[in-house]
Amino acid sequence: TVLKKRLVKLVVNFLFYFRTDEAEPIGALLLEHCRITKEEENVFSISFIEEPERKYCFECDSEQQCQEWIEALKRASYEFMRRSLIFYRNEIQKMTGKDPLEQYGISEEARFQLGTHKQ
Amino acid sequence: MKLNERSVAHYATCDSPTDHAGFLRKRVERHHHHGHHHHTTSYQRRWFVLKGNLLFYFEERESREPVGLVVLEGCTVELCEAAEEFAFSIRFDDAGARAYVLVADGQAAMEAWVKALSRASFDYMRLVVRELEKQLEEACKSLAACRKSPRRSSSSGRKRHLSNPALLPLQEKPTVLENGYSTWGSGGGAIPGGAACPDQDGGHTKPPPLPPRRRLAAGGATGSASPGLSPAMPESPVSPETACFSKLHSWYGQEIAVLRREWQERQKRGHP
Repeated sequence: TVLKKRLVKLVVNFLFYFRTDEAEPIGALLLEHCRITKEEENVFSISFIEEPERKYCFECDSEQQCQEWIEALKRASYEFMRRSLIFYRNEIQKMTGKDPLEQYGISEEARFQLGTHKQ
Repeated sequence: MKLNERSVAHYATCDSPTDHAGFLRKRVERHHHHGHHHHTTSYQRRWFVLKGNLLFYFEERESREPVGLVVLEGCTVELCEAAEEFAFSIRFDDAGARAYVLVADGQAAMEAWVKALSRASFDYMRLVVRELEKQLEEACKSLAACRKSPRRSSSSGRKRHLSNPALLPLQEKPTVLENGYSTWGSGGGAIPGGAACPDQDGGHTKPPPLPPRRRLAAGGATGSASPGLSPAMPESPVSPETACFSKLHSWYGQEIAVLRREWQERQKRGHP
């Protein structure tokens, strides 16, 4: 496989990639339902739940950079944030007996519920 | 511009949490054709699905692929002074981006959509998560101060776990939360698409406060800088990142239009 040098930008739950001298991205990956895996040295891959054998590989300049990217990408999805929020909410409720979202008046918002069913 | 459209379509149609869904009429944005003057505005009825910061729309409720995608970052949702009743718009900070004008079935539907879309941004979710992170840290501290024997989950590495949600949950064996592959509280087994627990019931809510309007789609990371969740970033009227999203919107619509034309041409030529 040929590796091409790209400028890669993580913006919310999207990973944009650019040719190094261009201002417009040539592509993007939506980072939902994906798995970030450490491959060999300096390399990580992104794969998606419905096609796990298809890996988008990225080689970094150093092992440290590789780890930083892996950590950032694992937390990049909206769904990850949603789960974190639900976890914190539960923990705070258990410790204090109060729902922390009530003070903001947002405790009933669909996006903060445990299981919003597909409509 | 390439996109992992198969994954996008899968995400749009799978069982992951849907924050809002329903039929809306979407105004058709036409360009000027040579010689044609479009005086009448037309609308197309589409099935809209909001998941997180992504608004998908489908031709039919049962369609297996969305025909459009709107990324709700760097945008404002407002009521529309359009000819249509119950109309609202999604407008972007990026001057070049097209706006979306949508029409709901009634007052209640319109209000529900505007509320859901106004809070759909990644920034808003991140704001709330950070706030709860702080609260949990404070709750842990005051618990410790009350001389309660520390629970296993709040012992070593507490600071680390609070800023690194990837190491939670701690009641089960430590499991890394990977996007879409996680165990959550209910013991064992990967649950793709997030937790699957019954809806929590609740009482009535007071009108929730609107989140602070943030223009910048934050969280930028480059190949060389240290990535990760960035702290509150200074506001900027025009962000290159939001321009990326409007390109993505127009790309997606065009791609589908091309595919459809090709399919129709094949039909005409009598291919199965």
